[in-house]
Amino acid sequence: MSQTGSISMVRAKGLRKEHGRASGLVRAVDGVDLDVAAAETVAVMGPSGCGKSTLLHLLSGLERPTGGEAWLAGKRIDRLSERAVARLRRHSVGFVFQAFHLMDELTAAENIEMPALLAGSSPRAARRRAAELLERVGLADRVKHLPSALSGGQRQRVAIARALANDPMVLMADEPTGNLDSAATVDVLRLFEELHLAGQTLVIVTHDARIAATADRLITMRDGVFVDETRLTGGSTGSLSALAGLGS
Amino acid sequence: MGRILLICRVVLRDLRRKPVEAALMLLAITAATATLALGFGLSGAISQPFQQTRTATAGPDITVQTYTPGSGPERPPSATQLADMAALAKKPGVTGSSGPFPASMPMLRVNGYNVQAVVQGRTAAPAGVDRPEVTQGTWIHGGGAVVERSFASVLGIRVGDTIRLNGRAFPVVGIAVTAAWNVYPVDTFQNQYGPAGVVWLTEADARSMATASQPLFYTLDLRLSDPARAAGFENTYLNAYQNDGIDLQSWQDISADDGRVLGKVQNMLNIASTLLALFAITSVALLVGVRMADQNRRVGLLKAVGGTPGLVAAVLLAENLLLALVSAAAGLTLGRLFAPLVSYPGAGLLGAASSPALTLGSVEEVFGVALAVAVAASLVPALRAARISTVRALSDASRAPRRRPLLIRLSTRLPVPLLLGLRLSARRPRRSVLSALSIMITVAVLVTVVTAFSNAGGQLGPVVVAPASPKNLRPEHVVLAFTGVLVALAVVNVVFITWITALDSRRPLAVARALGAAPHQVVGGLSAAQLLPSLTGAVLGVPAGIGLFTMVSDHSGVVYPPAWKLAATVVGSLLVLGALTVVPARLGARRPVAEVLQSEAV
Amino acid sequence: MQEVMLAMLAKEPSHGYELRARLRAALGPLGDSMNAGQVYVTLTRLEKAGLVASERSDPAPDRPDRKVYTLTPAGQQRVAGWLSEIGWPKPDLAEFHLKLVAAAAARLADPVALVDAQRRELLRRLREAQRAGMAEPDGSSAGLLLEGIVLRLQADLRWLEACERTWAARKGESGS
Repeated sequence: MSQTGSISMVRAKGLRKEHGRASGLVRAVDGVDLDVAAAETVAVMGPSGCGKSTLLHLLSGLERPTGGEAWLAGKRIDRLSERAVARLRRHSVGFVFQAFHLMDELTAAENIEMPALLAGSSPRAARRRAAELLERVGLADRVKHLPSALSGGQRQRVAIARALANDPMVLMADEPTGNLDSAATVDVLRLFEELHLAGQTLVIVTHDARIAATADRLITMRDGVFVDETRLTGGSTGSLSALAGLGS
Repeated sequence: MGRILLICRVVLRDLRRKPVEAALMLLAITAATATLALGFGLSGAISQPFQQTRTATAGPDITVQTYTPGSGPERPPSATQLADMAALAKKPGVTGSSGPFPASMPMLRVNGYNVQAVVQGRTAAPAGVDRPEVTQGTWIHGGGAVVERSFASVLGIRVGDTIRLNGRAFPVVGIAVTAAWNVYPVDTFQNQYGPAGVVWLTEADARSMATASQPLFYTLDLRLSDPARAAGFENTYLNAYQNDGIDLQSWQDISADDGRVLGKVQNMLNIASTLLALFAITSVALLVGVRMADQNRRVGLLKAVGGTPGLVAAVLLAENLLLALVSAAAGLTLGRLFAPLVSYPGAGLLGAASSPALTLGSVEEVFGVALAVAVAASLVPALRAARISTVRALSDASRAPRRRPLLIRLSTRLPVPLLLGLRLSARRPRRSVLSALSIMITVAVLVTVVTAFSNAGGQLGPVVVAPASPKNLRPEHVVLAFTGVLVALAVVNVVFITWITALDSRRPLAVARALGAAPHQVVGGLSAAQLLPSLTGAVLGVPAGIGLFTMVSDHSGVVYPPAWKLAATVVGSLLVLGALTVVPARLGARRPVAEVLQSEAV
Repeated sequence: MQEVMLAMLAKEPSHGYELRARLRAALGPLGDSMNAGQVYVTLTRLEKAGLVASERSDPAPDRPDRKVYTLTPAGQQRVAGWLSEIGWPKPDLAEFHLKLVAAAAARLADPVALVDAQRRELLRRLREAQRAGMAEPDGSSAGLLLEGIVLRLQADLRWLEACERTWAARKGESGS
């Protein structure tokens, strides 16, 4: 891989995932090829039930594919034991969920410390990292708050900070703004934009156009397959002022 | 009427919805009530049969024995001793006598046992005082032996068997009961020989059993004009004749010694039932707690359709009370079934082996305990459910886990499985305390057994003698059976709690796995969540168990088992527990992360 | 545009360059497309129509432009009328909708492909507007305008989703 300029962080080849059997067979992901370069942001859009969440689970090793290959940070993961995938995931993937999935009984800082502790960091280092990340997501004053005392947007920012705790090579987000109102969505967008500028590789699965629009590349998925792929970096044909009605 | 119907319907539905938990609860309370019923059944089991036997066998008011006085070697009885006996039979107040009969202490070999026996030489004709009542076969004739019933019962001797006394074979021609001797295995001879069982032979055969080290001695049975004053008679003449080597025993002494055997068993059963009741409370409280956790929604629904707080509390209580009543009935039945087996030492007495009657009082008490267990375990949750606001009950499916900042801080310094385990057990502190308690009780009992065995070399306390017949349930069997029941309940409890914890913490554990916790760490965490409180319980169980043994045993000098044995008990229990938790934990942790997170997402 | 200039003069008489600065502050990056000439052309037109009056003020040393514009009573009336007017830009959806219908009917093009192409374009615009909006400081009025653009684009994208669903379903029916 070293000969190519951009390293592939996430790669899928003919990736398939089927649920059920015989007549009840559902092809959630049906032969998908994907290559996400380092520092790239890729969004996968599609109607609900198109298999985009399953794809994300396959790419992060949370689920095992029925067929095809999944690579993470240069390592093939579809054949690894769950234990090995867990170890790889600790350092390579940060996960952000639609439902936040924060631990209710842990404070914001403690939630963020979790992955670092799981990866064997010292408590002191984990705490320092958590403070740093809370600062970065703009919640430095919420260190000791329990999730129940935080707004939805704040919770998701804590979850993002948690996903970043081990400096993952890839940040994967599954409908990160699905449970948020538009103001909170903007906060998360801003955060993703900053991460993007800092060179973080991001794979986002969403049906929110706003979050999809932060991506360099947008993939549209339908019925388990990719039906469209566009670079959004090219720029649009019209001018913004025209959109605002200032053209005349 | 409608309200009652509603309560019944809701209660039955819920029981059907959660059959495993209902069954576990039944099991726990039944075990406690059965033990309790057994204990009650035994009280009074001995005094009545003794009187009955005394009357039927013309039991003596005083028995007299000769023995070798001083500290020299054993000698045959002297002329003085025989003269003393003759004098005693003529003392004022004495209205009748039998004997002196020759007696000796041979070893009896039968069915693979080799135990101490006491042989009394008797004539074929019945004596005036102490006429052993033959319950099977015939009285001694033609060189045959008659064996005392409790002794025969322990050793499994039947009419027609052949026993060997000091190597000589005797056919057993009969089984009889007597009130002149203690039932087996009461230690009649004050630790000189250990307990000895009674065998009647002809006088000639009894004499022939004497050896140099176990010489002949004589026994004499006296009847007094006033049996109630036997103790006074005993004291007076014991002082006068003990320098000659004459021992007297009143019938009250014999009765009391007999009673001590059963009293001991009864005492054990009382302690056992108390422990089982405590255990039942902890496991019932656990089950109720687990059930309440997902009952909030039901409570909310009941309230939303117009249920008053009283109705809600009634529903929750009724369910557990129903289980308690069924368990109490089952416990009483089991107690009655097993009582004859436990009260076996009464085999030496007439009418004792039949199942002891349960008095109304004891039935009431058994039901009372069962209901108390149910109420103690479910009152707090029921009241809480009655008080909770409808909206809150409807909105959260279960009680939010508790937060323990100190434990969370502390856990960051531990390896991952312990970190997860500590946090999991901190989420449900009440559950942790209760499981610690149940483990404590179990370990305490195990320690008691270990202590007992190291005290008596395979015997439980002074009550129990070495040879054990597989055909009879004996005190140590009772204790072992009880321990078995307790351990089995503890096992079921632990497996169940682990399974519940695994279900309950599916989401946090799935998140932990998504964050990079490996499956084995999650399984380790779930096991640790059980083991951490269990460790506390097990350690506390050691002093509790030793205390318990000291209570049960009437030995003043209790020999404590070596530390390694205690440590092995604790470590062994924990290892077994750990192994037991792995299966439910694995099952609980096996569900794919993605599926869990998806199904629980809003 | 004329009404906007008038309304901005309603506060106080202003120089042309002041008006332009105010406009730029309100429009943020969108105001970049507006050159100084446009402002003066509009002001001249308004003066001819008798809606504003101008007079020369004291010459400032660094400003070549010394005219100060004031609203005339007619201008004030016009502003009041404009403010009470209820107008809203009409969304032009019919054209695209008919395009899809026609393309499908005549089998000229795949309507789903047309939707996809349109969506790509809208997403690019959304991206631009969103980035511009995020570059604005919190609470800036230009940010608010950009937020409006983003929300409209989102609404359009949602409609495109509905179009896609329907046309994909119709295609499936006719195909089988």
